[in-house]
Amino acid sequence: MKKTGIIFFPAFDWSLGESHPEREERLLYTQEQIFEEGVMDLPQIKQYSPNVADLFEVLRTQAIFPSPEEHNLDAHLIAVGSSLILGKAIMAKEIDNGFSLVRPPGHHSGATVWGNRGFCTLNNEAILVNHLRANYGIKRIAIIDTDVHHGDGTQDIFYYDPNVLCISIHQDGRTLYPGTGFIDEKGGPNAWDTILNIPLAPGVGDESILYTIENWVLPKVEQFKPDLIINSAGQDNHFTDPLASMNVSAQGYGKITELIKPDLAVLEGGYSIQGALPYINLAILLSLAGEDYSGIIEPQKPQRQEIGGQAFRSFLSNIKRQHDNIKPSWVIKKDQSLPAGDWIHLERNIFYDTDYFNEHRKDYIRKCNHCGGTVLVISERLPTFLKAALVRIPFEACDVCEQSGYDLVELYKKTEKTVLLQNQLKNEVHFWKDSREVRLFEPKNQTT
Amino acid sequence: MRNIIGIDVGGTFTDAVLISGAQVIKKGKIPTEQDNLLITILNALDFLYLSDLKTIDQITVSTTLITNAILQKRLPKVELILFPGSGMKLSSLPWPAQYQTFSGELDYRGRKVISPNKNEWRQLAKDLQHNSPKPLVAIISKFSHRNNVFEKQLAAYLEKEIPDISIALGSEWGQSNFYRRSLTTYLNLASTGLASDFALKLKKAVLERGSKAPIRVLKADGGVLPLEKIRPVESIYSGPAASVLGALAQNNPKESYIVVDVGGTTTDIGLVLSGSPLISSHGAQIGPFLTNIRSLAVRSISVGGDSAVILNNEKVILASYRLGPAYCLGGNNATPTDAMCYLDLINYGSYTKSEEALANLLPENKQEKRFIKQIAELILNNMAEQIGTAIEQLLLEWKTEPAYKVWEVLHQKENYKFYIQLSGGGASGIASALEQRMQTKTILTDSSAVSNAIGAAMAKPTFSWTLNLDTYLSRYRIEETGEQGEWNGSKKPHGEVELFLKELAQDQAEKMGIEASTLQKEPFDYFPLVEGYQTVGQIIRGAIHVKPGVTGRIKG
Repeated sequence: MKKTGIIFFPAFDWSLGESHPEREERLLYTQEQIFEEGVMDLPQIKQYSPNVADLFEVLRTQAIFPSPEEHNLDAHLIAVGSSLILGKAIMAKEIDNGFSLVRPPGHHSGATVWGNRGFCTLNNEAILVNHLRANYGIKRIAIIDTDVHHGDGTQDIFYYDPNVLCISIHQDGRTLYPGTGFIDEKGGPNAWDTILNIPLAPGVGDESILYTIENWVLPKVEQFKPDLIINSAGQDNHFTDPLASMNVSAQGYGKITELIKPDLAVLEGGYSIQGALPYINLAILLSLAGEDYSGIIEPQKPQRQEIGGQAFRSFLSNIKRQHDNIKPSWVIKKDQSLPAGDWIHLERNIFYDTDYFNEHRKDYIRKCNHCGGTVLVISERLPTFLKAALVRIPFEACDVCEQSGYDLVELYKKTEKTVLLQNQLKNEVHFWKDSREVRLFEPKNQTT
Repeated sequence: MRNIIGIDVGGTFTDAVLISGAQVIKKGKIPTEQDNLLITILNALDFLYLSDLKTIDQITVSTTLITNAILQKRLPKVELILFPGSGMKLSSLPWPAQYQTFSGELDYRGRKVISPNKNEWRQLAKDLQHNSPKPLVAIISKFSHRNNVFEKQLAAYLEKEIPDISIALGSEWGQSNFYRRSLTTYLNLASTGLASDFALKLKKAVLERGSKAPIRVLKADGGVLPLEKIRPVESIYSGPAASVLGALAQNNPKESYIVVDVGGTTTDIGLVLSGSPLISSHGAQIGPFLTNIRSLAVRSISVGGDSAVILNNEKVILASYRLGPAYCLGGNNATPTDAMCYLDLINYGSYTKSEEALANLLPENKQEKRFIKQIAELILNNMAEQIGTAIEQLLLEWKTEPAYKVWEVLHQKENYKFYIQLSGGGASGIASALEQRMQTKTILTDSSAVSNAIGAAMAKPTFSWTLNLDTYLSRYRIEETGEQGEWNGSKKPHGEVELFLKELAQDQAEKMGIEASTLQKEPFDYFPLVEGYQTVGQIIRGAIHVKPGVTGRIKG
């Protein structure tokens, strides 16, 4: 029996459109199910109430461009705030673990945000992770993403960060949104091998996903030795999910939770709102609380063809072998304007499916043997040519990287309309527009 | 001028008032006879009006009859039949009653997943016939608040097989939570016999005293219902509700304050926000039973004017029990009342006696005035500390109520400025210690000693109609009455559904004697039901309330 905290925030008055999968109805039946079961009356369950996160918490982790006030963040800030409340409760040892059962989701939302993508605007888990690192001295955290979609936003945020392990198990990106999450995405120059993507063939059910977790995910986590484990608990691997093609059951999700033993599970996707969510949410909650979830049986039965047995095992060992053999190769940017050092250059487009536009990203990472390395991101919203710069001085930055961050800010303040400095080392956030600093939040938040 | 009577049966004393118009005509405290509450109530009536009960228009009683019977396990055996379906194991929760489980399963919208097994029903009928001539049977199925089909079918079957059976259905308590609904149904059926016997005797006794006044019973949510209409288990914990209503009847209608009612061994704490009592977001708990009973958000702590003062390693401890009356009132033990008397904070009790009681707590070489004063203050500070902590917990419960909508979270709790409305026997005695602890002023009214009885007398009838409508399945349900019916209206109604609930509420309010003008509508929630990107219907939730309150204000 474990003391489990829960925030249930179904955002019954918020949607991305009347018939959009991310709509008011999404957690309606989950509420009916868990309230009817009397789960909240289990002596070890403690229900917390949601609250709005400070913008500072968001900006320390994500750059909201062109500026936060141009987005309606209300619902998203509550989802973030809920995760923070449970994180604090865990740190205060009020609870052993927690479940942030909230909408909207967040794991497709990355380091730079121009709008909503994959139903996500703010990344609940990533903001929480950096909150815990900044305020509680937590050094190493593992995020295990069991949503059927690649957790590309979370990966983007921590791609250059050696102290956050991001593992995403998902349906192969060649067959599903967002089309990324391949085995060669293994982390940035100072953080190689802290990103693990396990793309699975459509049709994987309980047996195979549990096998993957036991034989690949858990050994990787054990090797990393995290202080804390967070589960991006998407529920669209279920055999009834309308957007994906997997075969996992509610009890399978209970078992996944039991194996991962997350300190905090955060709801992500899952759009079989009648066939799956009421049952999976119940299973995860009971599993976290150390209760028997073997009585949970969803009314529908799996219809899809299942991939399992030896065929799956050889498929998995094959991609694992390929994964292990991939070595890093970097393009070093020779640019006189960048501060001293080797700057690795990466370039790509990010598609915002909800609002239907592309972002063009140029990332520069200072190669460093002492810290995670300062990061510069030049981001452009296409086709508007709106541009913005993000400078990130990482947690525990070395002196040289710290200084290079300040130098970059001075430089880009002059050339870019919008510049955000995420000084994770000093736990500060600064925002400039037209080379003038703008206050987006009360200064007291800088130290909380 | 209406003459109304309020009687609040407490653990130690029973408060009684006679109110005429807005004036308290007569008030008093009568000792409670725990094993005979009927006599206690009749004594209170006789005390108020020995000669002429004819002119009384209404009698309201707040009684601990059912509370005590449940806590003392004096209820008859009830067969508890459950249709738990699949899901969480029943054994995950502590069941303070034995049950049998039957097969058959509904889902969260009340759709049938697995049909019941009629062989189990036949066996049950056989067992019941064998065991008792007049069995009491409570039948509850998971999601019966969405569809009562299994409960109704089994009940019809059993009634045919066993004519003398008494059956209660879980769907009569239409709120979600299978566990609480089961226990509530169980308790209510178990206490029905006791309650109706009591009602009969009370009515007869009142009639014998020459009164035809209607008798009302106070509920945990601060509402009242006629003696013959109340569901017995709804009368549990009406005492704290009476305290809150008593405060309402003695304060300005729009103010916000904390109600603290200091009794003999219990202190009740409640919260009033701009004139409305805070209602708990959970159902009431009684002993080991968690219920669906709506109640005011209150805290009851085991400390009061008669709590025994115990010395443990020179530390003052207030026991959770009473060892008789205060020393200064002729008892054998030091109590907070003695401290109040010694410090001249109350106008009853013997000063010399109180000094003696407190001195006895001190070592012989310290039995002098300044140490006695010190220990008296210590006792009251200790009591104020316990009350203060409970107040803080209640405020926290209010501030951290769950919220399920963006709107609710964005509209943070306003910053109310609270004062403390004190009532009960020891109210004046604790006032200054409590003011110091909470850093806020306290207010006492003239009739604060019988505030609970005033609250009972002045209580308004309350009711709520909470609708759940599934237009796709064409079914509606009303939580509070358990009513379930067919929806013949549109698949995507708007104003139509609000009118439907309004008419339903008005009609039923009239039958209950509630004025239709006091109905308050809550904003309705509309959930479009989507299947395959098509909107096929709506689930609509909405409610109309008659909120707890009082019929007027007492003139000071």
